[in-house]
Parts: sequence; structure tokens; C-alpha cells
Amino acid sequence: MFKNEEMEINLGPQHPSTHGVLRVKLRLDGETVTKCTPVIGYLHRGVEKICENKTFFQGQVWTDRMDYVASISNNLGWAEGVEKLFGIETPRRARYIRTLLTEQNRLASHLLWLATHALDIGAMTVFLYAFREREYLLDLFEAFCGARLTTTAFRIGGLREDLPPGFIKNSQAFQDRFLACIDEYEELLTENRIWKKRTVGVAKLNAEDCIALGVTGPVLRAAGVPYDIRKAFPSAAYAEMDFEVPTRTEADTYARYLVRLAEMRQSHRIIQQCLDGLPEGPVMAKIPKILKSEVNEVYHPIEAPKGELGYYFVAEKGGTMPYRMHVRAPSFVNLQALPKMTEGRLLADVIAAIGTLDVVLGEIDR
Amino acid sequence: MAESIEPQAPAAPEAPMGPYVYDYAAAPFRQVVMPKTVPLPSFRTYTAEVAAAAAADEAKWAKQLADFEVAKTKAEAEGKDAPKPPVRAVPRKDDNDMKTPWPVAATDADLLKLQELLGDSVEEIFEQAGERVCQVKKEAILEALKACREEPSLKYEMLADQSATHYPAAKDFAFSIVYHLTSISRSKRLRLRILVPEGFIPESACDLYPSANWMEREIYDMLGIRFANHPDMTRILCPEDWEGYPLRKEYPTVGWGQRDIDFRDDRGGVLNRLAMEKAGQLGINLKQPKAD
Repeated sequence: MFKNEEMEINLGPQHPSTHGVLRVKLRLDGETVTKCTPVIGYLHRGVEKICENKTFFQGQVWTDRMDYVASISNNLGWAEGVEKLFGIETPRRARYIRTLLTEQNRLASHLLWLATHALDIGAMTVFLYAFREREYLLDLFEAFCGARLTTTAFRIGGLREDLPPGFIKNSQAFQDRFLACIDEYEELLTENRIWKKRTVGVAKLNAEDCIALGVTGPVLRAAGVPYDIRKAFPSAAYAEMDFEVPTRTEADTYARYLVRLAEMRQSHRIIQQCLDGLPEGPVMAKIPKILKSEVNEVYHPIEAPKGELGYYFVAEKGGTMPYRMHVRAPSFVNLQALPKMTEGRLLADVIAAIGTLDVVLGEIDR
Repeated sequence: MAESIEPQAPAAPEAPMGPYVYDYAAAPFRQVVMPKTVPLPSFRTYTAEVAAAAAADEAKWAKQLADFEVAKTKAEAEGKDAPKPPVRAVPRKDDNDMKTPWPVAATDADLLKLQELLGDSVEEIFEQAGERVCQVKKEAILEALKACREEPSLKYEMLADQSATHYPAAKDFAFSIVYHLTSISRSKRLRLRILVPEGFIPESACDLYPSANWMEREIYDMLGIRFANHPDMTRILCPEDWEGYPLRKEYPTVGWGQRDIDFRDDRGGVLNRLAMEKAGQLGINLKQPKAD
């Protein structure tokens, strides 16, 4: 006795592979998804409203709580956005250290992505390998600012402190063994037949759709568009760095996996350049204790591990707090592409699609 | 022996029930401070302000000179010593690494091209902090977006961000909506801006830029601006039955149902005593050492 009717199910909001509290309403015909509707907002805390009532110095603390696996990138966007608003010139050494930490944070974020994405698809081992290296990076962040995840690493105008003793030595120790670690992950996955079967040709999103839907980051680069804000609109010390923007043309989950691994190698290269060419000098610009703004509005984008992270500030005359603060969260915009990626495909591929978009719900709901 | 129990009527709730009921009257002490100025960056306003300040400065100096002349003639007539000539005040220069980015006149080719294409629809073009701003008439936003997207010399392919700001102190508009466009092929950015009054329904950008879908829903959710021809104009971050629009300036950050413990307001010292007791149990000495 077979019934021929469509079924509606909820994936989440409490589901281990939605990476937080994402709810996806799915309409299924057998195992094929006919309609997919992401429902968000379960983690909405009103960060934009709160930041309107915090000074430019205090607001940075809230940016840690958005993309909590890449908080240093969030800190960088906030600090540089405010500096652009006030026209503050940051010392070169501070910009180098910012670049160094942001790239290490990109590694930590990509490692977490690799671990959880592989775990979602069924490869357990990579999780343990990737977390081993991530733990080392988090220890480095703890040595720098005392926190592993909620870092608030930077100050407006530079850094609060210079690098702690031993930081460069420990970073170099990590650098020396990390490339071999990436080879280990590749040995486990790249030619793995099950992995390829679950990822090749899954959740495709071509370049036109990516650009139309505003999708940025590794997902766009895996569709063949070499758009990287570190190259296109360089900030911090990225203009002085020598690195490549890895791209693929297949635009599927496997291509995104390869792009992210190649990006980890490029991040490794940038970190090495920062460590080798770290200039001497002060780490903090000369700025007043209380910043009072003039009427101005800026939009400052940076390349976060997930894509384009933009901070939009509106400031009033004599204000110590932003009149309006808006975050263009990469995950929020990227998640719009989920229906396009999954409709007409199998239910199991939805899990792969959520994993390959690398969404963080703290950033989507803000 | 069965004892009959009278069914009791449930106690009437003291405070309004329901998680989303927002009672402004219950929190009268949490007054919202409404902004009094309209911080809308604009080259026109800025030049007018600078000219007014310069004129005021000039008038002040002329008055100082006139006063000095009067005092001088008076002193000469009375046979006293001549008064000191006035010194013109020089604006103080701060010694720091800040260089405030003031708005400057538009020189960028993209902005000039847009002005040429759109003609009277463009209200203002200028640059500030290295960013290009083009403010267009609210009815012409689709035309402007289309020009940015399809004109071969502009080619802004991606709508990176869209957001809005509430200006309750402004007279002829209530919100500004900004569109941050990115040209991937030319590595350029542009900000389009429209000013809309309360109740105005601007056209949705979804047909031209599908990425506007969720961003416009967020603007509706947070500020209550509806968009015409949008495929799904519903709330996105707040629940469907949420009251009010959180990013409007009259919406308070704390409200009914929020716990508000502040030790400075603890007049009776109850909280302080409890904290001391707890500390005593844990063997922590919280008492300040007495000054000799």
C-alpha cells in the first residue's frame, strides 16, 4: 500500500548537523527535496541594537559573539571599520600582528569546518586530527589575549599589548609541522572513494547564481571567480603579502573542500611572511582616550573565513557611540543559497550543503 | 471518606502574560533618549556648515576689531594707555594620528557617469573616507540600480549589503536606505542611498539582485519598512508575532520582564548582605580593610 504524497519535515532547530539552531523546512517527495525553506532567528540577540548603546571601544566585545569560531576576523572588521570612520592610521607592526592573528584564526576556523563537515558526512577520523591542530592555535590566542574564543584581540588604533614572549617561537613551531598536517587530512579524504561519492557533484552553485545571491568566500571561489577581499580591497598588511587566491571551476562540495584546503596552505604562507618580516616599532597609534565622532558613514568589508564580512557605521557629531551599526554577515547572505543548492536533490545532500556553506548561526542571527 | 475539594479559580495574573507583550508603562523609568540631530553625511550640508562657521568666525573677528577701535579712541580721549590689540584665535591642532575624513566633492568617474545617466534623479554625489556615495530620488531607485548593474562602464554585479537607518529628528524623511554595490570585475564599491518618509513603500531590488531578498526582510523586521514586489515580505529574525521594530530609535533596549539588579540602587542593602553571607560561607573576605 503506497501513498503518493509529499511529506514535510523539519530539519532542526535541534539537529547536530545544522551547526547551531538552524531550522530547515523541507518538503520531500520520497527522498528528493522539492522545497527547502531555511528558518532563522533562534539565536537573535539584537547585537546591532546593543552596539548603538555601547561606545566604539565596548562594541568590539559583541563582535566576538557573532562568528564565535573566527572571532579575530570579526574583531579586525570592527577595529578597522572604526579606524576608517575616524581616519586613524595604525602602526605597521600592529597591522602585521593583526594579519598574523587573523590568518591563524582563519586556519582555526577552516579546521573546525573541516572537522565538522567531515563528521557530518561520516568521516570521523578527520575530526580528531583537525581538532589537535586547532587546539594548538587556540593556545596561541590564549597566550596573546587570555581568551581562546571570545578574544577581543585588538584595540581601536592598534593593539593593547605587543606579542607575548615565546609567541613567535611557538607560532614557528606550529608553522614547521602544519603543512605535514594538511597532507594528513588530504591523505584521509582527497582520494577517499566514499568522500568523493558524497561530495563530487553535490550542492552545485554556479558563478552567476553565486553573484546574484551575494554568495562570497570559498563558495564563490570554488565556482571559478577569483574574488578575495584581501586582494581586491586590501586592508591590514595584506597589500604587502605575497599569496595566491585558489579557485576551482567545478562549483560543487568537493571543489569547495579543495579550495579551503588550498586556502589553508596560503594562510600558512601569509603567517610565515608575517613572522619573517615583522617590523619593529610601536603597536598603538596616538589617539585620544575618548573618541568623539563627526557625521560620517562607512562600510568596511574584510575577508572572513566564511566570506565578505562588512561593518556599516553611521556616526553623529560628537558621539561616542555609533548612531547605527549594521553587520553584513557572510553566513546570513550565503545561507540564502541553500534552497538553490538543495532543491531537486536528495535529503542526505542537504546535510552536505549546510556543511559546505560553513554557516555559523551566531553570525546569521546576530 | 472523600473530601470534596472546591475548584479554585486561578489567580489573575498580576502582569500581562505572554512572552512578547511589551509594556512601556511598566517601565516608566527606562526612558528612551531620542536623538536630536540628523547625522546624515552630505557634502552639501558639510560645505554649508563650514561656510556658516567661517562667516561666524569672520563676524566675531570684525566685532573684536571694532571693539578695539572704540576702546582705543576712548583711551586716547581719556589720556590712558592704549589697550592691547586683539589676537585672532587659531584653531587648536590636536597632536594625534587621527585625520578626520570630511566629505569631498565627487571626482570619481563612476559617480559622474551615474549623474550623466540618471540626470535629475540624482540628488547628491560625493566621496567620504574613500567611499563613493550617490543619493538618488526614492522613486528612481530601481532605475539607478539597473544603471549600475547593466551599464558596461559600471558593471556593479553584486549587491553586497543593504541596510537602513532611522532618523526620527528629520523633518521630510524618516529613514535612509543604503545599497552597497560591489563590482567584482573592476574591484570597486559604490553606495546608493535613498531617503524615505514613514509609510513610503520603496520598490524591492529582488528582481535585479536576488540577494536583496533576505536583506529587505531584515530591514522590514528591524525597522518596519515594507518593500513593494517582494516575494516574501515577512519577518526573518524576530518571531512572526513580535511587536514593534527593534532598530527604531524609540524602541528601548530594556523593558518589561527584564531583571534589573544594580548594586548601586540597592538602598536597603539586601543584595549586599546576601552577597556578604554567601562570601562568608565560601570563606571569602569581601570586607574592605579599614583605612588607618
